[in-house]
Amino acid sequence: MIKIDEKNIVRKEFITVKFLYEHASKICKLKLVTKEHNLENKIIDQNLHRPGLALAGFVDLFSYTRVQVYGNTELRYLEKLNDEQRRHSLRRVFEFNIPCIVITDGNKPDSIFLEEAAKFGVPIFTTEFSTTKLVYLLSDFLDDQFAPRLTVHGSFVDVYGVGILFMGKSGIGKSEVTLDLIERGHRLVADDVIILTKKGEGILMGTGTDLGKHFMEIRGLGIIDVERMFGIRAIRYQKRLEIIVELEIWNDSSDYTRTGLDGRTLPIMDVEIPYVKLPILPGKNITVISEVIALNYLLKHYGYDSAHIFQERLAEKLKAKTSNDNRGINYFEHDFE
Amino acid sequence: MMIEKKVKIINKAGLHTRPAATIVKMASKYKCDFFINRDGMSINGKSIIGVMTLAAEMGSELTLVFDGEDEQQAAEEIVSYFERGFDEL
Repeated sequence: MIKIDEKNIVRKEFITVKFLYEHASKICKLKLVTKEHNLENKIIDQNLHRPGLALAGFVDLFSYTRVQVYGNTELRYLEKLNDEQRRHSLRRVFEFNIPCIVITDGNKPDSIFLEEAAKFGVPIFTTEFSTTKLVYLLSDFLDDQFAPRLTVHGSFVDVYGVGILFMGKSGIGKSEVTLDLIERGHRLVADDVIILTKKGEGILMGTGTDLGKHFMEIRGLGIIDVERMFGIRAIRYQKRLEIIVELEIWNDSSDYTRTGLDGRTLPIMDVEIPYVKLPILPGKNITVISEVIALNYLLKHYGYDSAHIFQERLAEKLKAKTSNDNRGINYFEHDFE
Repeated sequence: MMIEKKVKIINKAGLHTRPAATIVKMASKYKCDFFINRDGMSINGKSIIGVMTLAAEMGSELTLVFDGEDEQQAAEEIVSYFERGFDEL
């Protein structure tokens, strides 16, 4: 079985507020209302925090390392206070080293709010989204940023909507199989360097690198640009990893599955991915077999497991004890076509 | 056994296409696995796209990993090529 070296799993330790602003401002409709100070503040936590209690004075257990979300509750509370109290309340919170604040629902910070933020160097964003929606969008963005990642070597293709990752030694023909699949109308996700990101429990998403996107190398030919050559239908940017196919030169001692009942899997970042080991032999069309692997996966997904059905048929036959009458059809009618 | 070597890119142009192709050619002669690690990214040193994807500029630090029967010879040849600045100094 192929070895996946998990020592290179990386997880971002932080992102800067600047990064958040550059990459999430479109999704979350963030507007920076303070000057561009302290955008180098680090966000080290993917969770968000609503600081209602902290504003009211209870700062034990205050999750100040998180992005702070100020919704209607926080803003209305601050409005109720007189200027002196408001300044005091904000200061108590800003004294902690908070990365940034997002004010939701189209609310605007007043002049005291802005003054204190400038003094303590706290970047403030506003958004027209409601708190619920902002929390949903921003959490998803941060979850993805802080998700564990792993680069693996292989070719990643969408075959009939099933994400198949081809692995195996250099020069075994992964790229050639991939090219063949593209030619037959399937879609390339990435060749060679695949970055897998763990999303939630049990899901791995794969993509290429920004530099290597949709280029591939064909031995003896060099580098080709798949998107340019085959068009937009031949590529996609990301795909869930659903099956790993390992190619290897036929090896007598290797244990290839015969029935398909054993349901082999390969663990990657604690996610069990269905795994097939394919021997390469002269005359064996790996491309067609890959399509069949994808179709079989889809059948299983929709509740039909070929190997199990065959096993059941055998069991019935054994029970019925009619094994001497085994022709596929009982009687050839007068039809000699 | 496995050989791990830290190297630094010392030529001005960095790890551009010509040295990338040379490294891949050198590595492909050997049977051992050859990986290059940079900032938690590990790529196969026998693939040109992989090596170019590193986009290793002057001053960047890489870890070369050789694993397999002829790792000693492979490491000697490739590490020395890095240390010579891809013959561009």
